[in-house]
Amino acid sequence: MRLTCPFCGSRGLEEFTYRGDATVRRPSADASQEAWVDYVYLRDNPCGPHRELWYHGAGCRSWLVVTRDTRTHQILDVRNARDVMLAERMSPEGKGEGS
Amino acid sequence: MADLLSATLPVVSDPVTVGGVTLELVPPTSIVSLGAFAGAGRDELVGRVRAEFGVDLPDVSRAVRSSYGNVAFLWNGPTQWLVVGEDSGELFSRLQKCCGDVCALTSQGDSRTILRLSGMGAREVATRLLPIDLHGQVFSTDCVASTLAGHIPVIVWQTAQTPAYDFLVFRSFASSLFHDLSVALNGHTFSETDHYA
Repeated sequence: MRLTCPFCGSRGLEEFTYRGDATVRRPSADASQEAWVDYVYLRDNPCGPHRELWYHGAGCRSWLVVTRDTRTHQILDVRNARDVMLAERMSPEGKGEGS
Repeated sequence: MADLLSATLPVVSDPVTVGGVTLELVPPTSIVSLGAFAGAGRDELVGRVRAEFGVDLPDVSRAVRSSYGNVAFLWNGPTQWLVVGEDSGELFSRLQKCCGDVCALTSQGDSRTILRLSGMGAREVATRLLPIDLHGQVFSTDCVASTLAGHIPVIVWQTAQTPAYDFLVFRSFASSLFHDLSVALNGHTFSETDHYA
């Protein structure tokens, strides 16, 4: 499997480390216990395209949000996680979350 | 009074030449990392370096050389660069005056060692260890890449069209990389290095 880093170009899997689900979001401090348990422990195991966090440790040391099809390992999209986070904060739904 | 530790070279081997390709340890150089502070730090840093050194810090994986002193700026990740220059304290103090307040400046001279592979055929030798495409159409003079040479993290910088490659490697890995490259010089691939003492 190869990933196309937005900074370094196409690189082999050995340069990257998998972190996990990129779709989970930290609940607010006063959220219910269920919401926190869900955030900390519970993960979906989707069949199909999934957004996940990868770290390009042997390259530019950027965190990336990779959209990968879990059935075929086809890579549909790779973005800089920082840009994804900033775009989310700017959007109306994301305002105030995590900041 | 205790004796001061004397500086020893990270690689004790003499330069190796096989088939016109030479592998050697580059004499100590000053290496300083620049990390722009968040916010407006990056733009400010780019402006300061332009004013002092007359070059724009690259925003792609390349090196730019300044004509004001023998200094090169290597892209080393988003908002990070390595400055490589002659071995003296001068480079660091010059950078500190120029941009010390808008970026994190760290001397990496004791951290990184440079090995140089040069001569016709150097690309074929480098390809035996590096997983990236080094073809002249996609990797030419002053292209830079952070990657793995075998299992060793390196920053590869093509310094001449000949070709010549500088490998910026952590000092403690320099001797291992020198060994791996000298094995590659003899025509062996990385997976075969274990059989070659």
